[in-house]
Amino acid sequence: MKRVLAYLILATTVVAACGGGNTAATSSPSPTASATATPKPIQVGLVTDVGGLNDKSFNQAANTGRLNAEKDFGLKTSVIESKKQEDYVPNLTTFAQQNYDLVIAVGFLMQNAAWKVAKQFPNVKFAIIDGAPANDAGNTENLPNVANLFFKEQEAGYLVGVIAATMAKNKVGKAIHNTLCSMGGIPIPPVDHYMAGYQDAIKTIDPSATILIGYSNDFVDQQKGKEVGLNHISKNCDILFQVAGGSGLGYIAAAKEKGVYAIGVDVDQIDVAPGTVITSAMKRVDKAVYDSSNAVKSGSFKAGDNFFSATNDGIAYGKLDPIVPADAKAAADKALADIKSGAIKPKTDLTVKP
Amino acid sequence: MTIDQLIGAGVLAATLRLATPILLAALGGVVSERSGVVNIALEGCMLVGAFFGVVAADQSHSVVIALLVAVAAGAVLAGIHAIAAIHFRSDQIVSGMALNILALGLTSYLDYQLYGTTGTPSDLAGVPDVEIGPLAGVPYIGDAIAHQNAVVWASLVLVVLIQLFLFRTIPGLRLRAVGEHPRAAETVGIAVRRTRYWAVLASGVLAALGGAYLSLSVAHSFTDGMTGGRGFIGLAAMIFGRWTPVGALVASLIFGFGTALSFSLQGASIGDVKVPVQLLSTLPYILTILAVAGFVGRSRPPAADGVPYETEGHA
Amino acid sequence: MPVASVLFALAIGAILVLVSGHDPIGAYIDLFRGAFGSPYDITETLIQTIPLTLAGLSVAVAFRTGLFNIGAESQLLVGAVAAGAVGARFADLPGFLLFPMVLAAGIGAGAAWGAIAGYLKAARGVNEVITTIMQNYIVVFVMHWLLQNGPMTAPNALGTPASAPIGAGAVLPIIIPNELVPLTRLHAGIFLAIAAVAVFWFLLWRTPLGYELRAVGLGARAAAQAGIDPRTRTVLAMAIAGGFAGLAGMIQVTGVFHRVFDGFSSGYGFDAIAVALLGKNSPIGIVLAALLFGAFARGGSLMQANAGVSAQLVSVIEAIVLFVIAAELIVRLLSARRGRKPVEAIA
Repeated sequence: MKRVLAYLILATTVVAACGGGNTAATSSPSPTASATATPKPIQVGLVTDVGGLNDKSFNQAANTGRLNAEKDFGLKTSVIESKKQEDYVPNLTTFAQQNYDLVIAVGFLMQNAAWKVAKQFPNVKFAIIDGAPANDAGNTENLPNVANLFFKEQEAGYLVGVIAATMAKNKVGKAIHNTLCSMGGIPIPPVDHYMAGYQDAIKTIDPSATILIGYSNDFVDQQKGKEVGLNHISKNCDILFQVAGGSGLGYIAAAKEKGVYAIGVDVDQIDVAPGTVITSAMKRVDKAVYDSSNAVKSGSFKAGDNFFSATNDGIAYGKLDPIVPADAKAAADKALADIKSGAIKPKTDLTVKP
Repeated sequence: MTIDQLIGAGVLAATLRLATPILLAALGGVVSERSGVVNIALEGCMLVGAFFGVVAADQSHSVVIALLVAVAAGAVLAGIHAIAAIHFRSDQIVSGMALNILALGLTSYLDYQLYGTTGTPSDLAGVPDVEIGPLAGVPYIGDAIAHQNAVVWASLVLVVLIQLFLFRTIPGLRLRAVGEHPRAAETVGIAVRRTRYWAVLASGVLAALGGAYLSLSVAHSFTDGMTGGRGFIGLAAMIFGRWTPVGALVASLIFGFGTALSFSLQGASIGDVKVPVQLLSTLPYILTILAVAGFVGRSRPPAADGVPYETEGHA
Repeated sequence: MPVASVLFALAIGAILVLVSGHDPIGAYIDLFRGAFGSPYDITETLIQTIPLTLAGLSVAVAFRTGLFNIGAESQLLVGAVAAGAVGARFADLPGFLLFPMVLAAGIGAGAAWGAIAGYLKAARGVNEVITTIMQNYIVVFVMHWLLQNGPMTAPNALGTPASAPIGAGAVLPIIIPNELVPLTRLHAGIFLAIAAVAVFWFLLWRTPLGYELRAVGLGARAAAQAGIDPRTRTVLAMAIAGGFAGLAGMIQVTGVFHRVFDGFSSGYGFDAIAVALLGKNSPIGIVLAALLFGAFARGGSLMQANAGVSAQLVSVIEAIVLFVIAAELIVRLLSARRGRKPVEAIA
């Protein structure tokens, strides 16, 4: 008896959900009817990776770009947060099926999923942040309806590295030990590229500077990030560059607690800890989303590789704390110009490994 | 690999910091399960404590109010669990799992609504560090533990208080009686349900304090899911410590030590072989299993743990 | 009464949706449409249901034996890694050889990993809750190592550290022709899942071992007096539990992803605890509970896309549904009010 009851409860859950849905569904044909009357606005759909909208990193930046585009270009936009890796294909499909004009896949985790869906919907345009479509064999296969939006993280890392190394060399403020550190979330290419550029700049400016590197092995856990930070500070680090999303906020918290300097990542993090964060290595994911939306609207969508780099302001260093001296800023601006001209090509491989 | 990387003062200090949130969750588990209610919503209690502590700190600019609100939030969540488990005699594990999902969803949702674009304010009131003066001068020990956050000290005091309460006081004896043999407890006049309510509420308070430690003492901000499974580790520490506060302390310290080592040993090598950083991170978990398998062995939960109780009169 | 339970839960959810500034009726329509609105959506819901069911069986076998398996998540991952490793290493073998090997690798690895927890409990008295929680974390970090710069790392342009793809012979075929349901990814793993549910039922209720496992679950001491050694049964139960979860991982690799990659973890193993208990550890109950979770997972995305309801709010509603149904609040409330003894079903 009791088992029968349990089944009943579950069965009616499903049935009730179905019933409720059906009756309600019949009463709602009006929105679609009215939509055809007026000219259809451009629709942009954003699918986040499993990090979610509140990742304090590129998903959040992408969403900022979406909202700005909606406001400035009069688009209709939506977002879906993926909860599992399995969700990428159906989530992208959800937008494509509804004939969105542009579907943006945020993050390199979605390269294969975007390839699958984009192939099925040749009339829908797609963009992948940090990636290119990858086929089932794991190889890049460009598609005529997919824009690959790449960022040169190493350039952003290089710029903040120049600022940090210049300050450390001249012993500005609390940066007295000429020891510079960085912490990654996990050792994957986009993370290591930032830190490689950072290390490259430091070695170029002052080969005698000490460089330390660590990983929190996490993108969420702040306490782990803080412990790596305290460990680095105990080894005389006085400028700490975080490349670990939420976990990296703990790294910054360590710098704040011990009164040394930190550098933010991805978005402008100067407000996270004023007086501690001296600048940020920015990757303008918001700009990439904003520009691609505009491109679809204006008909200038470009499939294939689109690089966001120093050249087109796709990467940058963030706002500077007042402690950053003029010569450090000048050095960063010169490096920026040299990167643009091609005179400097920041490394993508780490010089110092853990 | 150097001695300093293994047992340096810095490693010991980190051990204490990393053990604290787990210890507080474990203490919550001890109190609840000793009364006969399984509370796997400890993770959720930590998370609401962490979040509402930050909100209160932001609104009130007072650490005391922030901590009070944090533990109250934990008590509310635990209170829901208590009503389901004690009054409705629902399955305690399902209730706990549901509340964990609820806590994660709710805090992430509210976090995004309140601080989604700006992040939590940078001038958040935080729990201060406290230096134990006499310890500070002692070499090594002074460096290692003299200077710690107030919550760290509080959690150590709580270990002693709860240990004494459970095993040296009449109310503590009653609480354990309710968890071991509620029928007998009731016949000698102990209010089984009321005792369990208080115990579950206390577990929510303790776990939420652990969560508030993470947000108000460690990070000075909130990020989604920032407790990262520490409530579950606390559950393991509770069992490891055989449902005693002192045992839970030992378990948490071993776990904290393993985590501290996983950071201090980054870049170290054994002979010529560099240990991959990813494998170093498994240290606390392997250390815990080894410690339990090697030294603790069989542990027995309170006899009525997880069993709903129906009063004589009601049946 | 069950209808009341669901309506009550959905009503609370509706209030939350309303408070958050969205239209609750429209949101629920989207939730339903997302999960069951088209053949494609139904197949996607089923794809979510498959691993949830198998992981649910894993947790349920352990519960039936009186063990709490929090480790279905890591057993699933271990099964996936083993299936992915074997499938890639012997990629050139024909399907009739490769598929059984991959299947055995997935189930076997999950079983072995589960058996560790059972053995530590039987031999050293280590509570399985401790072991399985710790195992969950260990596997995540070992996978980071294996895939980021370890033995399984294969060069690829996927952008995420991943293994080489498994051989074509190991890939589970799509079972519905694309002409019928365009784009569907519903794979033959659903048959494996159905078979596993049948095995679960047969094993527990139609074999001596199943009887023994349930006897141990009802009381180890009494079972021992009846001549059943609870220790060997504990190891066996955890091995079987691990096998079910390992099969889930194997199916995700051979049916959905065709390779293992870093960040494979899905959380199915944790949802499975709720699935098993919601389904009362019984075969059909678990399938229905898994379907409910699968529907929420799939429907939630359309709810966010169209109604703008945040994904977190969807989790909150899911939690409330789970809480109200599983805690049987309404059932108990109504029966209490009628002055009856609460439904037997629960005790």
